[in-house]
Amino acid sequence: MDNFIYFFTFQDLSILYVVIGIVLLGIGSAYVGTYSFLDKKALLGDAISHAVLPGICLGFILAGEKNPIYIVTGAFISGGIATFLTSWLKRNTKLSEDAIIASILSVFFGFGIVLLTMIQKGGNPEMAGLNHFIFGNAIAIVEKDLWVYGGLALVIILTLTIYQKEFNLLVFNPDYGKAIGYPMDRIRFGFNILMILSVVIGIQAIGVVLMAALLITPGAAARFWTNNLSKLLILSALFAVISGIAGTYISFIMPQMPTGPWVVVSLSLIALISILFAPKKGTISRFFSRNKYLKKTHKEHLLKALYKNQELHEPPLTIEKIYELYPYQIKEIKDSIDELFKNGLILKNQSIISLTDFGISEAKRVVRLHRLWETYLTEYMNIAPDHVHDSAEKLEHIITPELEAQLERRLNYPQLDPHQENIPRD
Amino acid sequence: MIIQAESPVLEIHDMTVSYDQSPVLWNVDFTLPSGQLIGVLGPNGAGKSTLIKAIMGLVEPSGGYVKVFDRSLAEVRSRISYVPQRESVDWNFPASVLDVVIMGTYGKLGLFKRPGKREKEVALASLDQVGMSAFVNRQISELSGGQQQRVFLARALAQDADLYLMDEPFAGVDMATEATIFELLKRMTKEGKTVVVVHHDIYSAMTYFDWMIMLNLHLVASGPKNQVVTEELLRKTYGGKLNLLSKVSEIVRKQDFNPLES
Repeated sequence: MDNFIYFFTFQDLSILYVVIGIVLLGIGSAYVGTYSFLDKKALLGDAISHAVLPGICLGFILAGEKNPIYIVTGAFISGGIATFLTSWLKRNTKLSEDAIIASILSVFFGFGIVLLTMIQKGGNPEMAGLNHFIFGNAIAIVEKDLWVYGGLALVIILTLTIYQKEFNLLVFNPDYGKAIGYPMDRIRFGFNILMILSVVIGIQAIGVVLMAALLITPGAAARFWTNNLSKLLILSALFAVISGIAGTYISFIMPQMPTGPWVVVSLSLIALISILFAPKKGTISRFFSRNKYLKKTHKEHLLKALYKNQELHEPPLTIEKIYELYPYQIKEIKDSIDELFKNGLILKNQSIISLTDFGISEAKRVVRLHRLWETYLTEYMNIAPDHVHDSAEKLEHIITPELEAQLERRLNYPQLDPHQENIPRD
Repeated sequence: MIIQAESPVLEIHDMTVSYDQSPVLWNVDFTLPSGQLIGVLGPNGAGKSTLIKAIMGLVEPSGGYVKVFDRSLAEVRSRISYVPQRESVDWNFPASVLDVVIMGTYGKLGLFKRPGKREKEVALASLDQVGMSAFVNRQISELSGGQQQRVFLARALAQDADLYLMDEPFAGVDMATEATIFELLKRMTKEGKTVVVVHHDIYSAMTYFDWMIMLNLHLVASGPKNQVVTEELLRKTYGGKLNLLSKVSEIVRKQDFNPLES
C-alpha cells in the first residue's frame, strides 16, 4: 500500500517522468494502431516491431553507450528498411503478404539477436540493460529519454489529428482519395512512418517483442464497444494508458519484472472483458439475446399448438398432452406456460390450458405470419407447397409488422395458404 | 461502329490497359459528347470497370492517353466525380453516412483543412437529393446494399462536378430506387452535366441511356443509342467468345516479363 501511494502521488519526480512517458506512448501507439487495425494491416506492426532490433544494436555499437538518439535513429532506419522491403517484395514477386511479413520478421529479428549476442560477448560495460529493449523496462526511462520518446509520441498524435481526414480516406477508400487528386501514395508513406515511429518510441518501455500488442490490442478491444471512430480512438487510447501504467507499476514494485509482458497481460484482460461483456457485440450479450429469442420461439410454438387445436375443434389440451407433443423440451415448455400465464395469454383450469382473447389474437398473428410466408414462397418463388414449412417455421418469429403489411399487400390479402388452411386475421 | 462526338468532354486515344501484364482492354479509342447520360455495357470481365479506373488514373494504361475537357486529367480532376464499386470498400468502417458524404467535399477543400459548416450543408443537400435524409447519422455498417449505393451517389453529388463516372451504381438497388436515381441522373444531364454509368442490364439501359459504349475487351461500339444498339453489335458484345484475343492475353501473361511495356 505504501508503494501504491508513493507511486501514484508522484512524490518522486522520476516516477512522474515514467508515467508521462507511458501515457504519451500509450495514446500514440493506440492511435496509430487503431488505424492499422481498421486498415487490416495488424501484422505489419508485428513485423516492424521485431525488425527494429538490429537497428537498436547497431545504434549502440556506433554510440558505444545507450544513447537514446542513436538507438532511436538505428531502430527507425531498420524498421523503415523492413517496411520498404515488405512493400517492394509484394509489388515485385508473387509471394503472398503473410509469407513476406513472416520472413521479414524472422530474418530481421534473428539478425538482431546475433548482434545483441556479439555485444554481450564484447564486454562493453555500458551494455548492462541493453536486453531491456527486448521485453522493455519502463522504470529505466530517465529525463533525457522522455524528451526523445515523449517528443516523438507527441509528433505522432499531432500528425494523426491534423491529417485525420486524409488517414480516414486512406483506410476507408484510397481509390476515391486518388480520384479526387489526393496524393494517396505519399499519405500511405506518411502513415508507414508514423507506424515505425510508434514502434520505436515503445522499445524502451515495452520492448520490441511485445510492442505489436500495444499497437493492435487497444483498438481491437475498443471495437467491441463502439461504432464511432472518435469514440473508438479515445477508448483505445484509454485502454493503452491504463495497461501501460499497470505494467509500469508492477515493474516499480518488483524491479526484476520487465514492463512489456505486464502491459500485455493487462491489455489482454481488457480485451477479454470486452469480448465477453461488451453490449451487443460481446459474447455474453449475444448469448442472452439468443436465449431470449429461443424463449420467444418456444412460447410462440405453444400458442400455435393451442390455436390449431381450437381451429380443428379438438378437445382442449391438457398440460400432459402438451408435454407429449414436445417430449424433448419439457423444461422449456414448462417455463413458457408459466410465462404465458403470467402475461395473461393463457388460462389454467386444473390441468386444462386454454387461450385468453389476448392469447388468441397473438396466436393468430404467429399463424398468420407462418401461412403468409408459405403463400409468398409458393406464389413468388415457385417453391413446392411441401417444401415451404421449414422456412416459415423460422421466419414466423422474425417478420416485422412492416414486412407483414408488405406481404399482405403483395399477396392481395389472401384467405387461404398453399395447404388450403385459413389465414387468420383479427 | 464508333461514332465520334463533336466538341467532346472526354477523349480516349488508342488506350491499352493490362492487369498483371495481361491486357484487359485493347486499343480503345472513342470520344463522348457532353450533357448526355451514357451507358457502358458489356459482359462480365469485359473491362468496364477498368475503363472507368483508367480514365480516373487509378490504373496506368500501357499505351494511349485520356483527355478530359481537352486537358490532361491532373488539370481537371475537381470537375470529375467518381463513384467506385460498392464492394470496393469495407462497410464495417466506423463512420456515419454524413462522414462518408462529406468526403465528396474533400477535393475542393484540399489537404490539411477540416470540413466545416458549409461542407456539412453541401453533404446534407446531396443526401436529400438521393432520398437519404433520414439516415444522416446512421452508421454505414447498418445500411442495406441499395442504401450504400445511394450514399456513394450522394458523395459524388457533393463534389459538384461536370463529369460523373459511376461504376455499377445500380448493383443491389431495387427497381423503384433504380427508377428514381435514373430520374435524378437525367435531371443532371439536363443541367449540362455528363454522366457515364457502368451498367449490366441491357433492358433498362435501352430505356434510360442516350449514348452507349459497348465493350468486350475491345471497343465494339460507341455512339447514340439508336444507332449502335443493333442485333449484330449486341451479338459481338455479348455473344461471340473472343477466343483469339483471350489466347493472346494468356500468352502475354505467361511471359516472364511484360512484353507490352516499352
